[in-house]
Amino acid sequence: MILTGNKIIEEVKNGKIEINPFIENRVTTNSYDLSLGETIIRYKAEIIDPKVETPYVEIKIPNDGLVLKQGEFVLGHSNERIGSDFYVPLIHGKSGTARMGLFVHVTADLIDIGSHGVTTFQLYATLPVRLYPGILIAQVSFWVPFGNIILYKGKYQNSKGPRPSMTYKDFKYDVFKR
Amino acid sequence: MILTGSKINDEVKRGNITIKPFSTEQVNPNSYNYRLGPVLKVFERFDGYKSFFEEIEMPREGYILEAKKMYLATTYEVIGSQKYAMSLIGRSSLGRYGLFLQCSANLGHTSSTHKWTLEMVATIPIKLYPGMIIGQVSFWKNYGLFKKYCGRYGFLNHPQESLTPGDQKNYDINRKQNY
Repeated sequence: MILTGNKIIEEVKNGKIEINPFIENRVTTNSYDLSLGETIIRYKAEIIDPKVETPYVEIKIPNDGLVLKQGEFVLGHSNERIGSDFYVPLIHGKSGTARMGLFVHVTADLIDIGSHGVTTFQLYATLPVRLYPGILIAQVSFWVPFGNIILYKGKYQNSKGPRPSMTYKDFKYDVFKR
Repeated sequence: MILTGSKINDEVKRGNITIKPFSTEQVNPNSYNYRLGPVLKVFERFDGYKSFFEEIEMPREGYILEAKKMYLATTYEVIGSQKYAMSLIGRSSLGRYGLFLQCSANLGHTSSTHKWTLEMVATIPIKLYPGMIIGQVSFWKNYGLFKKYCGRYGFLNHPQESLTPGDQKNYDINRKQNY
C-alpha cells in the first residue's frame, strides 16, 4: 500500500515521516517533491574499482546552472532530509525531469526503513541538460511495510550531502574461494 | 505492502520465499542483497533482427565493463516466491557508481524461481568481481488471486538474452495451452 499525499502530511505532523524542510504545497497526490541541493560529485577515476575508494571532486552548482553533457554521470543530493521508521520510502524522478532525458537514479529506488538523511541522486543525462540548484527534480513516495521492523544502521546513515559509493567496505570474503 | 527484513527471514524458513544460498548477513531492513553470478554475456553484434552475445566466465581478479555497452549476467542465488511478487534492483552502492542493473524491468512475477538475468549498463567503466554483492530484491504482498507464471524466462538459470519477436507467435500458442 502506498500513502496518499494527505496521509504523508498527517504522518509528518505525527513525527512518523521525516521531511525537513517540509513545504506543504510540495505534497502531491501520492508523493512529496524533492529539490536539488547545490553540491554535485564527479568521480575522477577512468575505471571504477569497487574494491578501492574512488577519488572524486565536489562542485557547487552556480545560480545560473550547470550543464550535464549527454552521457554524463554525477551524484547530486536532495535539499531535504528524509526518512521514516514506519514506512519504506521510494525515490522517483519527476515526470518533467524524465522528459528531459535525465535519470535521478540508475537502479536503486528503494530506501531502507530507518535510514535518515539527505538522499543521493544518481544523475545520468541521456540528453544535455542544465541543472539549477533548488529545482524540483525528484519525488519520494512512502509504502506500508509488512512484518517486524528492524531499522537501518548502514554506512550511508545521516548523509548531509551527496555520498559517493562505499562498496570497498563490502568485500569481506570471496564466495568462490570457499 | 513490502516485506521487512525480518519477515523475509521468516518466509525463507517457512518455504514461502526461496533464496539459495541464503545468509542472514545479507538481509536488509526491507530487502535482501544478492550476489553476482560468474557467467557474463557480452554484446557482440546486431544482425538487424536480433543481438548476439559472447559468453565468458568472469575471472576472479575482476572484469571491466566498458561504458555504454550492454551486458547480461545472473544472480548467484536462485530467487523466487510462490507467495509474493518481487522487485529486483541494484544496490545503492552500485547505483552511486552509475551502474544500471536492470534496464527498467524490475518486476518479478509470483511463482517464477530461478537465477535472475541482470541487464547491466555502466555509465562509467567499472570492474566487477564474480560473487560480489551487487543488488537487492524486495518482496511485495499480492492483492487478489494470481495465475501461475507461465512466461519464457522464469525458470532459466543462465543469462538469457531476449527471445526474438519471431518467437512471439509460438510463445502465445504455448501459453494458451499452459493456462
